[in-house]
Amino acid sequence: MFHYVLRRLLLLPVVILGVTFLLFLLTQRLSPEMRASLYIKDPRQMGALEEVIQKYGLRDSVFKQYGHWLANALKGDLGYSQSANMPVGQAIKAYLPATVQLAVATIILVVFFGVWFGCVSAVKKDKWQDILARLFSVGGFSLPIFVLGLLLLMLFYGRLGWFSPGGYSVYTDMIVHGGDFHSYTGFLLVDSLLNLNFRVFGDVLSHLVLPAVTLCIGSFALMVRVMRSSMLEELGKDYVRTARAKGLAPWQITYKHAGKNAVIPVITLASIQFIRLLGGTVIVETIFEYPGIGRFGVIAAQQLDIAGIMGFSLMVAVLFVLGNLFSDILYTAVDPRIRLD
Amino acid sequence: MLDVQDLRVSFSTEEGTVQVLKGLSYSLPKGKVLAVVGESGSGKTVHALSLLRLLPPTANIEGGRVLFEGQDLVALSEKQLCKLRGARISMIFQDPMSSLNPVLTVGEQLQETILAHRKISKLRAKALAVRLLKKVGISDAARRYGQYPFQFSGGMCQRVMIAMALALKPQVLIADEPTTALDVTIQAQILRLIKDLQQQTGMSAVFITHNLALVADVADEVLVLYGGLCMEKASVQAIFKNPLHPYTQGLLNSLVSINKKEDFLPAIAGHPPIPGKECPGCPFAPRCSRALKKCFQDRPPLFGKKGHQAACWLLEEKA
Repeated sequence: MFHYVLRRLLLLPVVILGVTFLLFLLTQRLSPEMRASLYIKDPRQMGALEEVIQKYGLRDSVFKQYGHWLANALKGDLGYSQSANMPVGQAIKAYLPATVQLAVATIILVVFFGVWFGCVSAVKKDKWQDILARLFSVGGFSLPIFVLGLLLLMLFYGRLGWFSPGGYSVYTDMIVHGGDFHSYTGFLLVDSLLNLNFRVFGDVLSHLVLPAVTLCIGSFALMVRVMRSSMLEELGKDYVRTARAKGLAPWQITYKHAGKNAVIPVITLASIQFIRLLGGTVIVETIFEYPGIGRFGVIAAQQLDIAGIMGFSLMVAVLFVLGNLFSDILYTAVDPRIRLD
Repeated sequence: MLDVQDLRVSFSTEEGTVQVLKGLSYSLPKGKVLAVVGESGSGKTVHALSLLRLLPPTANIEGGRVLFEGQDLVALSEKQLCKLRGARISMIFQDPMSSLNPVLTVGEQLQETILAHRKISKLRAKALAVRLLKKVGISDAARRYGQYPFQFSGGMCQRVMIAMALALKPQVLIADEPTTALDVTIQAQILRLIKDLQQQTGMSAVFITHNLALVADVADEVLVLYGGLCMEKASVQAIFKNPLHPYTQGLLNSLVSINKKEDFLPAIAGHPPIPGKECPGCPFAPRCSRALKKCFQDRPPLFGKKGHQAACWLLEEKA
């Protein structure tokens, strides 16, 4: 186990180098002049273009420039994000917690309801519960996220006014930046509880509802399908017959025996989706103006904020490797036949 | 102990309903072992599963009764049946490796069986489970208790299955080809174990097999099944000494013996009937060298005296 984790962690630098170098190569498609112009805010200072090119070594070879970026990155300096108006590291620190909160809320909804509905769907195969669950999952699967997001926003914000877009309200903003509020973890949901400020907690939670529901619908549909087919397969196996022959109650057979085996492919799916949520909830964060890392990434890309793009991709690559590692470890907890070594 | 009357089971397939068991009757006396012998497709496993209503959803018990202690198992509610399963009547299966849940420890699976039927503490159930594992010949039982099925060999898994089946001292054990998936040397051990435990506890057993050679060792009575019908039933001595039905005779002829020197192994010509496409008379008639015209048209009833009966028209005049 320890060796396995170590080996996988050794893979991390390889993935990071690969991803960042490829991306860096792409940014080199822009001429040095174009890249230099990104540093210049005032059009009247365009004369300083050559100076900027010289200063940042924009005409050097790709390898030299990449080496320069890498050396700085290793020192913890990811450059200055023009789009966020702060150093990239600081921007990630500021925006990531909100996305993690959203991703965790979404994945909890997806796994809980997906596994539950999938189980019911399999046990009640071809009965109305199954048909309903399948209809719901086909519907959810075919509904584009941006359509659903806008519909929800129209209904629950525009009409009913129950939930509003954004990450939190002005009230929370005032409290959080007001001095008395101690930031323990950076996660507002956790911090508000630690500060015993339940109004902030409720406020942050209510801002999570719409984006989380929107994100969860598509993933949920997939989860139901995977869980259903996996469960159907397990229910037909010999050990289920043994469990019945032993006189176990139906719920024990379904959840303890078949369920524990059926959930194994769900772990794979859930971890892939969780990683995807961490790095790319771009559309939903944009629709709901949710102050997360996806929105940071998309704005950086729109404004050709090269340092921001590089930092964002670096973060996604790291999360990707760590997330996969985590799901591998999770397998061993469920399936004793899997040993990591 | 167990009284099966006219048990009929069918499967619904894409080509319509197919009858697999066509009216099987027998009674299993207390403390005796009945061997149900038949080749693949004869309906022996379907019969075993139907006794506890463990058939797949496509199967349907069309008629008949399975009487156990005055109750008809066919008519019992699922809930009432759950109380019987594993406690009063238990079952072991053909493939022990796949019959155990791969992600639960062997001990856990044994313990939950006990807890499903007896109101005792988890700790006592565990102690009982470890004792059972020892009883079925698993050494280092306390450590093995916490291991998973994949850490056990096939024979060991079958021992666990046996421990599980006998945990609540059932009156009847149904063993569906318990040694088929095992090595020959292990087969004998497992057979011995089942026989010993059966004699110790005085329970009755239905032993399902395709292997007549095993039958002589374990059974008191034999029922020969073919095409979903009983061909012959008799005591084990009578079957081996004086088989009445041509099918039984054919089966016995094809047994290998170390005393006889043979150049080739006599086999019964032809194939067993495909369920749903049997001849309307005796299902064995197309393969029978002594078949009469009548055999193809009318289904023979059981002839002979109680204790040794066979379903064959050749016995008609004798009766």
